[in-house]
Amino acid sequence: MRSMLKDAVNGLDEILFVEIPEGSVILVTGAEGTLKSGLVFSMMANHVAANNEHALYVTLELNSEIHLRNMNSLLIKKESNLHIFDYRDMRYEWMNSELDLIKMTEEVIDSYIDKYDDLTLFALDSLNALYSISEHDNMRNMIYDFFSHLRDKGLISFLIMESAQSGMSGQFSQFHQIEHYLADGTIELGMIDGKGGVKRYIRILKMRATKHAMEKHQLTIDENGISIRGTIY
Amino acid sequence: MNTSVENVPDLCETLEDNCKKVVDKIIKTNREVFIMYSLLEKQMCGYDIIKEIFSRCDVFLSQGTVYPVLYTLEEEGLLHAEYSKGDMRSKKYSLTPRGREVAEKDIENFAKALEQISFLVKR
Repeated sequence: MRSMLKDAVNGLDEILFVEIPEGSVILVTGAEGTLKSGLVFSMMANHVAANNEHALYVTLELNSEIHLRNMNSLLIKKESNLHIFDYRDMRYEWMNSELDLIKMTEEVIDSYIDKYDDLTLFALDSLNALYSISEHDNMRNMIYDFFSHLRDKGLISFLIMESAQSGMSGQFSQFHQIEHYLADGTIELGMIDGKGGVKRYIRILKMRATKHAMEKHQLTIDENGISIRGTIY
Repeated sequence: MNTSVENVPDLCETLEDNCKKVVDKIIKTNREVFIMYSLLEKQMCGYDIIKEIFSRCDVFLSQGTVYPVLYTLEEEGLLHAEYSKGDMRSKKYSLTPRGREVAEKDIENFAKALEQISFLVKR
């Protein structure tokens, strides 16, 4: 029997009560150090390990070796059916050409689907990096088209987006509001400085066509990997 | 369609365009075979492969369709990748012994399939 994505991280089923529908585009937002990449990579690795499916993690910020080194330090194991694509070679070899990295990313996804017709999960790390190296006259249209492309492919897509700082929950710059309107889900990660020191949290702000908790839950990492624990305030 | 003498060059051009479109589609769909074919003789980076296929076939394979093939063939152990001496950023690909076997077999199958299609559509 196929394992559910909501079971891919220990405790995720405590905040997400039903499965995320195919074709959902989910933003994973948070400041630096809030485990955005780790959480997404961990979900994908665990999911493909439990199912005979493929997943694609596209990293624009780091090359795949550094990304894997970071994931190893979080004790997250890369499965052979979790593919990592970075743009290092392409950007270096074509440094004198103008590359439309949004179109390229769509082509990369299509290429992996051509190769693996059971590709079900996609992640982009990060949307901010994609914007910073893309030149488009009309970013709103571009975002709309990009999200539509992901939906049309029937993938569950995680788009990592760094927000300015922790504690800005629900506050997004005008520029980034469009993604929040268009996305089917938003997972917010952050840090809270409380009595027991700084704690990481996860909160599902939105997840269309699902039932989910609204409270902030503690996000921990230990020798068993990433876990979601009880509510935190 | 009007096929008067004056329109013959236009007609030829259209036929040529259509033929080019078909070739374009065949090469793009079977890019893995063409990429491995390019690597039979020498090691190359993604940029060189795209240039080589363009100069040989007059078909531009975009970067977003070539690099994923290189990465997945490397993952499958069919390609070996190494950085050029003194340049840690340019990765050159070559066929592994198993990759060469697979490439030769795939190229042969591809050529046979084209022959068969050609035979099927001949009148």
